[in-house]
Amino acid sequence: MSKTMALRVFGLNLVKTNRSLLQNACKATALPAGQTVAEASYATEVTVHASPAAIQKQKVSKAMKAYLKRATEHDEFMKTQHLEFQIGKRHLANMMGADAETFTQEDIDEAISYLFPSGLYDPKARPAMKTPEEVFPARKAAEFDETGRPFHSMFYTGKPNFFQLLHEIVEETNKLYELEERMLRRGIKPDENQKLEIAGFQVLPKDQLETQLVESIADIEYTNFSNSMDRLIASPYAYKSKAFIERYLKPLMDQSKQLEVPKPKIDEQGRQYITTYECLRKTARADVTVRMPGTGKISINGQDVSYFEDENSREQLLFPLNYSELLGKVDVEANVEGGGPSGQSGAIRWGIAMCLRSFVDQEMIESMRLAGLLTRDYRRRERKKFGQEGARRKYTWKKR
Amino acid sequence: MKMFRKHLGNLSRVSTQLQRNVVQLSTNAEASPIEETAAASVNEFRTAVANPGEHSALHVAKFYTIPVEQKKQIFTGGGLPKQYEQQIKTFTEPCLMVRSPALELLHYIKNADLTKPVVRYVLYGDNGVGKTLTMAHVLHYGAINDFLLVHVPWAPNWMKRPKEASNASQEGMLDLPFDAAAWLVHFKTQNAKLLQQLQLKTNKEYVWSKRESTPAGSSLIELVEHGIARIKYATDTTVALISELKQLSTAGQCKIMVAIDGFNAFFHPETRIFSDNKQRVTPDRITLTQPFLDITNYDWTNGVCILSVDKIAMTEGYMDSYMPRYLLGTQGFEHIDPFVPIHVENYTDKEFHSYINYYLDRHWINKTPQGFEEQLKFMSNKNPYTLMQLVKAL
Repeated sequence: MSKTMALRVFGLNLVKTNRSLLQNACKATALPAGQTVAEASYATEVTVHASPAAIQKQKVSKAMKAYLKRATEHDEFMKTQHLEFQIGKRHLANMMGADAETFTQEDIDEAISYLFPSGLYDPKARPAMKTPEEVFPARKAAEFDETGRPFHSMFYTGKPNFFQLLHEIVEETNKLYELEERMLRRGIKPDENQKLEIAGFQVLPKDQLETQLVESIADIEYTNFSNSMDRLIASPYAYKSKAFIERYLKPLMDQSKQLEVPKPKIDEQGRQYITTYECLRKTARADVTVRMPGTGKISINGQDVSYFEDENSREQLLFPLNYSELLGKVDVEANVEGGGPSGQSGAIRWGIAMCLRSFVDQEMIESMRLAGLLTRDYRRRERKKFGQEGARRKYTWKKR
Repeated sequence: MKMFRKHLGNLSRVSTQLQRNVVQLSTNAEASPIEETAAASVNEFRTAVANPGEHSALHVAKFYTIPVEQKKQIFTGGGLPKQYEQQIKTFTEPCLMVRSPALELLHYIKNADLTKPVVRYVLYGDNGVGKTLTMAHVLHYGAINDFLLVHVPWAPNWMKRPKEASNASQEGMLDLPFDAAAWLVHFKTQNAKLLQQLQLKTNKEYVWSKRESTPAGSSLIELVEHGIARIKYATDTTVALISELKQLSTAGQCKIMVAIDGFNAFFHPETRIFSDNKQRVTPDRITLTQPFLDITNYDWTNGVCILSVDKIAMTEGYMDSYMPRYLLGTQGFEHIDPFVPIHVENYTDKEFHSYINYYLDRHWINKTPQGFEEQLKFMSNKNPYTLMQLVKAL
């Protein structure tokens, strides 16, 4: 719980305030900041105004009473948290010799990592200071009035937001079906140009949907959701409800990063070349230069391919060259150190593949990516555990 | 593609030229048995010229077939690597590729002045580049051209896995009687015909024991056969035989081709042979070492000396480089200095292509996906042995 440690420095003691809230906080910090905006429709900053006098005379249900009490408590708690966060921020800005008014969240992160350097592996476990909205997850607003009568017609399903969403999806789908019917009757075809592009997107994963709805869903319910979303997207007029669909889609990955292929440089002999530094695999580190046009010459630490004695390692080097059909057309120079043969060859293989991007077309790059050539292999040796023979293997069990 | 076609065109032109030559040759020889097979077996990677003496730069990267009886005569007791021998058996023809180091060596031997002291040629190169097969090619030349062959197929065998070691008559020395006898048998099979022809006689009397002796003037065959029959005296017979051979060749009665594969084993810091006091002995305390060191000296004439130095003749810890100076050590280097070094290298592109064609011809490679040759070239680094290993699975 290094987070508390960091916060305690600024006079905040979360543990004292509410342990369960703190546990929630750990979950919530993992979410991207943008998510909080989307949540607004289902969960609100609970600000309950004191109920009007007319109602006060009426009988107030016990549930409502309890809720009101909890809400005011939470509200106050959040207020103090806000205040303390502001004070903490000012302290931090002072310490760093910066202006407190223009001190942004980025500056805070930087300051924290400077003041509390941490070698902990998991970024979530490292000290951090964030706004209370981000630390404490949103909670549901009141779902019933003072007399205890629920607002939502689906309150008794237990998951009103979720079933509401399903309803909305089906409504949209039916709308599109009707539209399709009408258009068919008139003989109009859907606009091909406006067709919804969902390549590179996926339906919101379960955990993100849960935080958006502020409700926990079962697996089968999530399947129902994704199936009905698929049905909606499959409609030829899906572009008509683009705005709705996009609320429940998530981009698969940052494609712009992948598209950035470095331009080759020209060496003194007039050949194009590109160098990839920091090619890593296991504990091996390499830098690889690929020159085009070449004759297929390979040089690894000044030696030819016989640097690798075993067949497997040579095959590793062969694969990207063969796959991109540039075997014998480029020269490869590599400097590699650390690790063993398989790590070294893996590092060089990745380096070659990354370099070759500059010499092949976009289609081939995509194909290479799908073949896994451009993916870093992050696997490392697993440590041995005490009481065990190795990483996983247990000692032979003997009765006595 | 265009280049490839051009290349092919060149090859076919050469082969037609060759065919013409062969036809001429065979007409000169009048109805030689080669004639029928010549047309069929000559193509872009084969040559019908089976005499190594006639091989020239024209035949580089081509295969020639060693006649079966000659192969039997020369290589029965070893001389071809075991895996190559298996390949020969599979392909049902003893084929060797004509390569430039062998041609270079043959060129030197053909132009050598045999009246001068012997020249030592040292074949060296990385593992599996074809030192032994280069030697085999030259041995074939020697056998055809009336050289008496003094051939040690793999010297490290004596130092690493001898059949039996026993104390020699000389104090502190060890005999390898079975290995010596095996070598005598090898010598006899290689040279039986020539020995009969030349009628070589011993110069002095050799007394083996009170009752046994070989009188002066008896033939060398008798000497050899005595060594084979009386294994106890095989080592001494070897010593005697080799000193006799030196004298005979210096006298001009015969010419000798010495070929020792893995020569550096004689200068290895230690052997795997144990003496009586359970100590490893050095190679100079093995009696069998002496005659072969003796015959690699330059104090005799009318012969050639082909030695190969090899990394795998050494043991672990002594295998860092394949250069002769490293492998032989100071003592060994001084022993054979001056010598002519001949570097055996990996295949050239032409040789590689030719070998792939040969494998295809023998149906040894069945799967030929697009670009397999390029891939094999990359994987094997054009190393002959590695290529052989890789191709096994295809």
